[in-house]
Amino acid sequence: MRRGNRSVVAGLAFLAACGGEGAPGRPAALAVTDDAGRRVTLAAPAARVVSLAPSLTELLFALGAGPQVVGRTTWCRYPAAAAAVPDLGDGLNPNLEAVAARRPDLVLLYHSPLNETAAAQLARLGIVAVLLRQDRHTDVARHARLLGVLTGHPRAGDSIGRVLDSVVARPAPPAAVRVAFVVWDAPPTVIGAGSYLDELVTLAGGANVFHDLAPASATVSLETMAARDPGIIAILADSGAVMPPAWARRPEWRVVRAVREGRFLALPADLFGRPSPRAGEAVAELRRLLARGTP
Amino acid sequence: MRWFVLGLAAVGALGAAVVLGPTAIPFAELGTSPIVRDLRLPRALLAFLVGGALATAGTGLQGLLRNPLADPFLLGLSGGAGLGAVLAIALGWGGPWGLPIAAFAGAMGAMILVYRLGLVGGGALDPRTMLLAGVAVGAFAAAVTTAIVSLAEASQLRNAFLWLWGGLSGASWQTLAVLAAYIPVPLAVLAAAARPLDLLALGEEPARYLGADVERVKRRVYLAASLLTAAAVAVSGVIGFVGLLVPHLARHVWGHRHRALLPAAFVGGGTLLTLADTLARTVVAPRELPVGIVTALVGVPVFALLLRRWGAP
Repeated sequence: MRRGNRSVVAGLAFLAACGGEGAPGRPAALAVTDDAGRRVTLAAPAARVVSLAPSLTELLFALGAGPQVVGRTTWCRYPAAAAAVPDLGDGLNPNLEAVAARRPDLVLLYHSPLNETAAAQLARLGIVAVLLRQDRHTDVARHARLLGVLTGHPRAGDSIGRVLDSVVARPAPPAAVRVAFVVWDAPPTVIGAGSYLDELVTLAGGANVFHDLAPASATVSLETMAARDPGIIAILADSGAVMPPAWARRPEWRVVRAVREGRFLALPADLFGRPSPRAGEAVAELRRLLARGTP
Repeated sequence: MRWFVLGLAAVGALGAAVVLGPTAIPFAELGTSPIVRDLRLPRALLAFLVGGALATAGTGLQGLLRNPLADPFLLGLSGGAGLGAVLAIALGWGGPWGLPIAAFAGAMGAMILVYRLGLVGGGALDPRTMLLAGVAVGAFAAAVTTAIVSLAEASQLRNAFLWLWGGLSGASWQTLAVLAAYIPVPLAVLAAAARPLDLLALGEEPARYLGADVERVKRRVYLAASLLTAAAVAVSGVIGFVGLLVPHLARHVWGHRHRALLPAAFVGGGTLLTLADTLARTVVAPRELPVGIVTALVGVPVFALLLRRWGAP
């Protein structure tokens, strides 16, 4: 949280310096601290932004910075308007020439060791990069404010941040449905407490039966799955995915009661595939789906 | 005596695999619990068959190549299987049946390639050429695999790797039945080659003088060992070290006669993998470790210790 506070302070300092959004006068330097602990300064709000993480691209469009986005990854599929932005390939270990060719004044990278190297390389080219790790909804709120400052939409950033804060702070309804998120069938891999999906389930009035696992995802044994006996098996799915999935017919999976009884819930990857500024919508939709049960 | 101890260890390992697990099941319910009946029991038996198949294949290949480093995966089979699995996922065929079939096909492809390359010197399979060909085919397959992984969507392929280094979570009575129906033929081929393999240890020339049909034996042993390995990959991914460690252990206890060595390696490999899988399921419960990591973590120190005590094999 300390990092979050620092970026908020930086945002406030910027607001104070400018006397509010769009105020006349000399633009002061914009300064933030990214998730790698690096101090990043811009002389003016970035006009050309390359976003190399799908969740950050979505956030930029939500902030109203969509027209400033001049590059994205192959996997940035939301919102639909992002498709019009040039595709620069992968977001991890990105193609730096392709990035530099877009002449960005700000590059957003997912915070990983490979990308720290990429950020250092970009710095050598004189291009400013921020490393952001957006894994939880609190990260989205913090990044909304930070990117709002860097792209010149501080009010939008603040309002998205406030909405997300209130979504996360809202007391969760008592857990009525026990859910297991299955991300892969062989070896069985599930979502643990480290994922935003675990947060979402709790906020929507469910309980992740693998909440005791700290990482975002983990391989578990099927017998634990059978013993914990989730009421619903949730799966992230692209549109058009068939439910139940093919692996549900495998004999070893049929030991799990929810699989035997066909209680699967397909969650559209568009809305649920990443921590996003639409968390409120995602929580409401998940609450509706959990209450309805499965077909 | 040594057969009795080995048998006891095998029964103990299978018993432990059924009784122990991440879920506590009261002793009285062991007979009725669906977790024991449909998950633990087929998984324990599958681990035993896979471990046995890998160790027997390793024994045959070490005899054939007269090389103590020979292991079922040395000759490019793991590379081929990995390429098959990753290709299947990249092309969207990675269903619950597609992945094992693709891995099996990839291993067979590597096997055929290495076999053809091993024959380049004329009609005779040259062990040295085969080793080189195996390493080259494996490296090539690994390079293609890495190229696909770096170009395709990451999350799916991370899962392909997990599966490939995976383990026995896909065990069911169905997979057990498929493997149990499949492995007797290559096992029988290896068993029938026991005597010629003993002769081959003397060198190809002496073996020929002593009446072994050397070329036929080499071909059969290589094909049988590869078929066993490919089947093991299809049901459990790449499980290293069992096929390397167990033949050496067995040779130290049972000597160099393949008639005793092959069955001892089968039971020993089965016992080792069953124990390793029980550890993989329980030590970090409710999470699970890839069983190949356990076989290496447990096997390598044991192997190092034995090497020190015995000197070079």
